Amino acid sequence: MEADYAIIGGGVVGLSVAWGLLKRGKRVIVIDGDDGAFRASRGNFGLVWVQSKGMNQPRYARWSQQSAAIWAEFAEELGDNTGHAVPLEQKGGYDLHFSEETLQETVEKYETLKAQLDGDYPYEVLGHNALRKEEPHIGPKVVGAILHHQDGHANPLRLLTALADDVRRMGGTVLNGKTVTDVTKPDGFHIQCSDGTVIGAAKVVLSAGLGAAELGPKLGFKAPIRPQRGQVLITEKLPKLINRPSLIARQVDEGGIQIGATNEEVGLNDRVTQPGLSGLAAEAIAAYPALARAQLVRSWGALRVLSPDGLPIYQESPQMPGAFLVTCHSGITLAAAHARLLPDWMERTDAAPDLEVFSETRFAIS
Amino acid sequence: MQQNDLIVIGAGPAGMAAATEATSHGLTVTLLDEQPRAGGQIYRDVDRVADKRGDILGKDFTYGRTLTGGLRASGTTHLTGAMVWSIEDGFRVSFTKDGRAAQITGSHILLATGALERPMPVPGWTLPGVMTAGAGQILLKQSGVLARRAVLVGSGPLLYLIAAQMVRAGTPPMALVETQTRGDMARAMRDIGGAMRGWPYLVKGVRMLATIIRARVPRYVGATDIAIEGRAQAEAVTFNVAGRAKRIACDTVLLHHGVVPNTQAARSLDVPHRWDDGQQCFVPELDTWGGTGVDGLFIAGDGAGIGGAKVAEMAGRIAAIRIAEAVGRLTVQQRDARAAPLLRSRASDNAIRPFLDKAYPAYQPALTPEDATIVCRCEEVTAGDIRRYAGLGCLGPNQTKAFGRPGMGPCQGRYCGLTVTALLAEANAQTPEQTGYYRIRPPLKPVTLGELAMMDTPEPDAAE
Repeated sequence: MEADYAIIGGGVVGLSVAWGLLKRGKRVIVIDGDDGAFRASRGNFGLVWVQSKGMNQPRYARWSQQSAAIWAEFAEELGDNTGHAVPLEQKGGYDLHFSEETLQETVEKYETLKAQLDGDYPYEVLGHNALRKEEPHIGPKVVGAILHHQDGHANPLRLLTALADDVRRMGGTVLNGKTVTDVTKPDGFHIQCSDGTVIGAAKVVLSAGLGAAELGPKLGFKAPIRPQRGQVLITEKLPKLINRPSLIARQVDEGGIQIGATNEEVGLNDRVTQPGLSGLAAEAIAAYPALARAQLVRSWGALRVLSPDGLPIYQESPQMPGAFLVTCHSGITLAAAHARLLPDWMERTDAAPDLEVFSETRFAIS
Repeated sequence: MQQNDLIVIGAGPAGMAAATEATSHGLTVTLLDEQPRAGGQIYRDVDRVADKRGDILGKDFTYGRTLTGGLRASGTTHLTGAMVWSIEDGFRVSFTKDGRAAQITGSHILLATGALERPMPVPGWTLPGVMTAGAGQILLKQSGVLARRAVLVGSGPLLYLIAAQMVRAGTPPMALVETQTRGDMARAMRDIGGAMRGWPYLVKGVRMLATIIRARVPRYVGATDIAIEGRAQAEAVTFNVAGRAKRIACDTVLLHHGVVPNTQAARSLDVPHRWDDGQQCFVPELDTWGGTGVDGLFIAGDGAGIGGAKVAEMAGRIAAIRIAEAVGRLTVQQRDARAAPLLRSRASDNAIRPFLDKAYPAYQPALTPEDATIVCRCEEVTAGDIRRYAGLGCLGPNQTKAFGRPGMGPCQGRYCGLTVTALLAEANAQTPEQTGYYRIRPPLKPVTLGELAMMDTPEPDAAE
């Protein structure tokens, strides 16, 4: 089997890149795992988010803004192509605060970032009463919020399904249930799977999430990524209760209230725990007291794919040119950028985005 | 918090017998059950109902009082009305009772969560007026309510039992539409040797059938192409039998084609399961004692594989004896001596199963329904949707769950799990074992965010 690009990892990141390459007429094979694989694409929170990102690296804030700005167009194209809409809402999002001190500290950081971004950081601070006008169900413990107008949320599972559908529709080959065991480059790339399948490709994209930690070094990458568990809750479907999303809770397009998320360093354990559930429930009720009566319908644990500084890694292998590492923990926010902008970087066109700050060289000094 | 030697979940025959046995050996035991009174589904509400409706429900039902009486006398802590929504390693069991969340811990767990009726997704099965035969029987046990103008559809001993109970209650069903064929019975006869060891079951079966025949309830055997007609409500059952199309107008349709283990709790603890071809379902992998691959975790009763009430009772006691030995209350010799007669009679009571499984197999068209039939009622996902997701690369039910929401609703996939696995296995030309099952997560049963939050105990502030 031969392709211009072999993409290792068929989650939202891999499929977004595949989609972008297919649009440029490339022949693409996506190699995907099995039903039980760790899949951040199935467990993520679904925000298309800008605020709080890149506080120490304005380029990351900018990259997130770029992606958020072209998301709607991307979602619309997927919807038109597949006949199944990808729900997206971009009318701002909140960072809710339970104390004046944390609110003030955050505002100070945002001001610094705003200056670095030449003022393109449209946010406003809402006191409790102003917030209550926007969110009638907000609780008395919430002192205020930062409303950032570039934030929003999507249905990440509809995005995954639409990508899986459209990549096939555009002629991409997707191989499911595969485990890549080795990649070599005698002339072109040879990708070896545990079931004996061998795929040949001129270029390779490693977008295997946590799987890149093991495969990365074989391709000459450092791939210093680790799992971080996030537990997430979702309630029964409810009438409209929350207008805009926050990191604490959002009302999904189907009606459930999704509540997140823990940040736990527990290795590859993706279980749910009672203390995790209880802590998240208590925080959500503090923000929206009406949630106390809501039934929990589902909960899950999912593993974030984190680099040491939390930023994405975009790196071409120095040892095996033509192999690219693409990994991030915001695959939903960055999906549009990965689909529409990243292929220019891999193809080295004039429109290639400058991704130097996301290279692995930043991990050299430790 | 008091540490139990054993936490038993479910107060049916397996759970009651296990708790009683374990307590008799001096173990600290807590039994959690959802119902207000002990009995499980099979002996549901037996203490209250036996005197009122014992003549309709029969001797096998009233026998349940032996177990409820034993449990009461044993001194087991029995928490009624307790909904267990999470079980974690260690073991930590979280539940809600009287609107309050609580938690207990124990070194051993016995899951005795019983069986579920195998869903029977035939065209029209989601119409009002259609329910499982078991749900119909619960109405009879608990409230004495009986459906009039009802047709029983499907196969298996429970179908006959309910029909016989309806006859005795004076409202016989309009008809029995049975899906098993004469060929099934012929295949089953190869296991008649085993069946003869279980002869009391055969005698009961013959008696039930005699009751049904005496009441002149029409029986249609080998029915195919079953569908339920109706606009806002079930109005008729249609089917073919021996090449002839039939239609029976009715108000109620009771569907049943066997029961399957309720594996949700075991799955939530990652107990390994295997596919049982005879019973067409997943069963947990267990040792002789009911021990699982998870240290300290045991399973007894129909949740371990369908065996019926007597097998469940013995399996519960067997597991309790093993756990008593594990905590040092019995020596290995005492354990083996006490378990030996129970192991023998469990084997003889199980001997009828291969015969029953073959004589009354599941209705094949309901295992992999036609495209238009809904398989996930909670999220209204059809069989055709599942096949389409297979075409998009879904090899297992956790991918289809992400793609189209089957299994995401309030039932936690209890009712669509096996159907989704079967459809994917067929579409991908894989075995059910390769296809796998839903990853089960809390909540196992409904819980509100308020109840969850009550258990939030922040780390004490260092300054205080």
